[in-house]
Amino acid sequence: MTRALAEAKTGMFDRVAMLFEVIDMLPEEMSDEEIAGLMNILPGDAANALGAMLVPRVRKGSIAFMRMLAVWLDQAKHAATKHGKKTILVPFCFPPELIHAFDNGYPITSEVLSTLGVVALEGQGERYYDMALGLGLPDHICSSNSIEVGSMLGSNDFQPQAIISAAVGSCDINSKTHEFVSNYHDIPLFMLEKPVDNTDRGIKQYYRNYRTLVATLEEFFDEELTEEKIRTVVEMHNECTRLYMELWELHKASPHPVPNLFALYTYGARFAMWGTDSGVELMRVLVDESKKRLKSGEYPAEREVARCLLTYTSFYFDLAGMFNWMEEQGYSYLGDGLNMIFPQPIDTTSRDTMLDGMAEEARNMPMTRQMGAPSMAMGWSDDVIMAVTQLSADCAIYPGHHACKQTWSAASILREELMKQVGVPLLVLQGDSWLRRTTPIGVIQELIEEFISNVVVPKQAGRRKVRKRTRPAADEEAEVTTESES
Amino acid sequence: MMEEVARLSETIENDSVKEWKAGGGKVVGYACVCTPVEILDAAGILPYRIRALGNPRTDIADSHLARFNCSFCRSCLQLGLEGAFDFMDGLIETNGCDHLRGMFENWQYVKPSPFFYYVKVPHQTTPDAMEYFEEEIRLFRGAIEQEYGTKITDESLRDAIRRQEAIRERLRKVYDMRKADAPAFTGAEALSLFLLASAVPPDRFCEMADAAIAERKDNKVTGYRARLMLGGAASDEPELIKAIEDVGGLIVTDALCYGARAFWSPIDLDADPVKAMADVYLRDLLCPRMYDDYPRRRDFVLNAVAEARVDGVVLTHNKFCDVHGVDNVQLRLDLEKRDIPVLQLEKVYGSKADVGRIRTRVQAFLERIGGKA
Repeated sequence: MTRALAEAKTGMFDRVAMLFEVIDMLPEEMSDEEIAGLMNILPGDAANALGAMLVPRVRKGSIAFMRMLAVWLDQAKHAATKHGKKTILVPFCFPPELIHAFDNGYPITSEVLSTLGVVALEGQGERYYDMALGLGLPDHICSSNSIEVGSMLGSNDFQPQAIISAAVGSCDINSKTHEFVSNYHDIPLFMLEKPVDNTDRGIKQYYRNYRTLVATLEEFFDEELTEEKIRTVVEMHNECTRLYMELWELHKASPHPVPNLFALYTYGARFAMWGTDSGVELMRVLVDESKKRLKSGEYPAEREVARCLLTYTSFYFDLAGMFNWMEEQGYSYLGDGLNMIFPQPIDTTSRDTMLDGMAEEARNMPMTRQMGAPSMAMGWSDDVIMAVTQLSADCAIYPGHHACKQTWSAASILREELMKQVGVPLLVLQGDSWLRRTTPIGVIQELIEEFISNVVVPKQAGRRKVRKRTRPAADEEAEVTTESES
Repeated sequence: MMEEVARLSETIENDSVKEWKAGGGKVVGYACVCTPVEILDAAGILPYRIRALGNPRTDIADSHLARFNCSFCRSCLQLGLEGAFDFMDGLIETNGCDHLRGMFENWQYVKPSPFFYYVKVPHQTTPDAMEYFEEEIRLFRGAIEQEYGTKITDESLRDAIRRQEAIRERLRKVYDMRKADAPAFTGAEALSLFLLASAVPPDRFCEMADAAIAERKDNKVTGYRARLMLGGAASDEPELIKAIEDVGGLIVTDALCYGARAFWSPIDLDADPVKAMADVYLRDLLCPRMYDDYPRRRDFVLNAVAEARVDGVVLTHNKFCDVHGVDNVQLRLDLEKRDIPVLQLEKVYGSKADVGRIRTRVQAFLERIGGKA
């Protein structure tokens, strides 16, 4: 009984870390029979996710992704005991390479942990989300971090020694959740605010805020961040960036040579291990695998039916049902909003050039860049339209994660601007990106399928054309975005 | 006088605004409590705080914002797009919260205001942030001067600061008169006065407030079951407060941004005017949008609870309001640690359908805290 209770209170981090210890023991090459055997012994939810990741066309990339995560989790788990490091909880929009540059610090990204809980654990981490709600937190908090944070609040989970809040200016609920955990557990909170100001003054202010954070971390870790240490991670950041750009170019080919799931793996690297050997290694595998597919001309469906850009998060509770299903229908996933990081090589001349370069990278992280812009709608629309244009997308899909109040605030303007500027239709979905209980994957698939069949494909065939829209009057209903020529 | 206050505060374009406009005066709207209205006042402009007054309709707004956005912002947007604020000559955005930003962006996108300016307010009070905000106020001042062809001198700014501080003094006095065993004003009356304060010229408000204070000097509100504090999200809904007071929960103080949090901190009349405004609108800001000073908000609530001798605290938030939704949990945990009863109430702004549920919850709360029958 005591054991059962203890298990129920086992934190998500520990459960995920245990699972990855096992995954790390798997051989590099596995036959289909071995994988089928593995699926038989795994619990249903984990088998479903792992099954999606181990289909032959993505297997190599997936194994590289899991190995990178195994290193990340192992380092975090033993940060204090084996390596004498302090762990620091960061949000996905904070570039982890700054923490990797310290000898005494290690970054744990809350959204990556939440996603791993959803993907790898039986019950998909829902119990931890419920723990957060059990404290009275409202049901419109964001599951992306509150699954992990719920585990910290309600179970015997690991606790970081500090928290960085880097969504200040671009997401209220992310910032508020971090503040809550900091107060609840009395953990120091360091803020990195992005002024909603892209003038020189606003950019300078952000750089100042970044430098202040660096100084705070030096004090917290009791360690000087030397030029050497920074250069080590910056050089690897630059290599990750080079590979990211190569992958971006590959996304332009048709049929799409980059497996849909690689979008997730790319930002998994960005949010956890950018600027490290493991991050570089994963990015290299993703590029190599995509190149192979480009060369062979292989595509999982008979033909590429539609090239789709997702405009913000995706749905992570069913990797097979979202990423793989789309690919098997011929719906290429060109990336999503979290891929819109637009990294740039950093000048390694001096400590100052490198820190400014890192600050600039931080300023351009997803969400920070778009929702931290003076206009959320225009900052977001500009990036989506640029990506849609460069990648020749036929359509855009807004997954409508219910907790993303700021993107919901701007989604109607995005739809208008996409149609007005490039004639690309936007499908607006509603659901929770991490919780299956809100909108089942079957409903999401049905909506995507109907959208592509009834809007995107006829438009490609010239049976529907884009109507030049005028801005609707205040009292008009929203217009239909396309009309039939016939 | 209170009837006149109620009448004027229940109308968006009230008689005073009409008179002001008829006399050639300009009106500029703002929504957030961290807007330095003294800049507008110093330029001879009437600052007008956007309100929805419990408007339940959101059908037009819902085609721009989403149902995952706060219903208060959707209500305001609805009124804006319907033309209820067409008397305004300009609009000032602040980054109060994600919903408010969305409200302004959609409003401006669909129905652009003749003048639109964005005051960017940091979320922390570090020296760098304070310096940035001071510069932001200077830029705002310059934009208003340019748009309205006027010069805002330090002297005119000081005069405006004094006028706005006079408003705050009256409101503090009203709140002080609610602390008595038999308060001089009900919560609904206090809200009416508050709403009037940001919808009529300062001198006009001060005259009316003085008359109301004199009229209510010896008034005693009795017959209530419990003394309550109301805290949480934007609540400019007289109906909500009436619903609570009708069942015997007299609101004797609050921690609302359409309430005490908007006027509690006095401004330094002798300091450099820009610095004085930066201090009062950012350093002293009591808003959950600030992520580094929860203890100050908690202490504000605890002090108000003690000073007004409340029996319980009602913390509300509009559905999908993240900053108050989370802050209310922190506050509840801290209040309950001190044995102060709390009712945490999630609601839909302006929904008549919600009133019955709210009354029931408040009645149950009054039973729980042993309010007098």
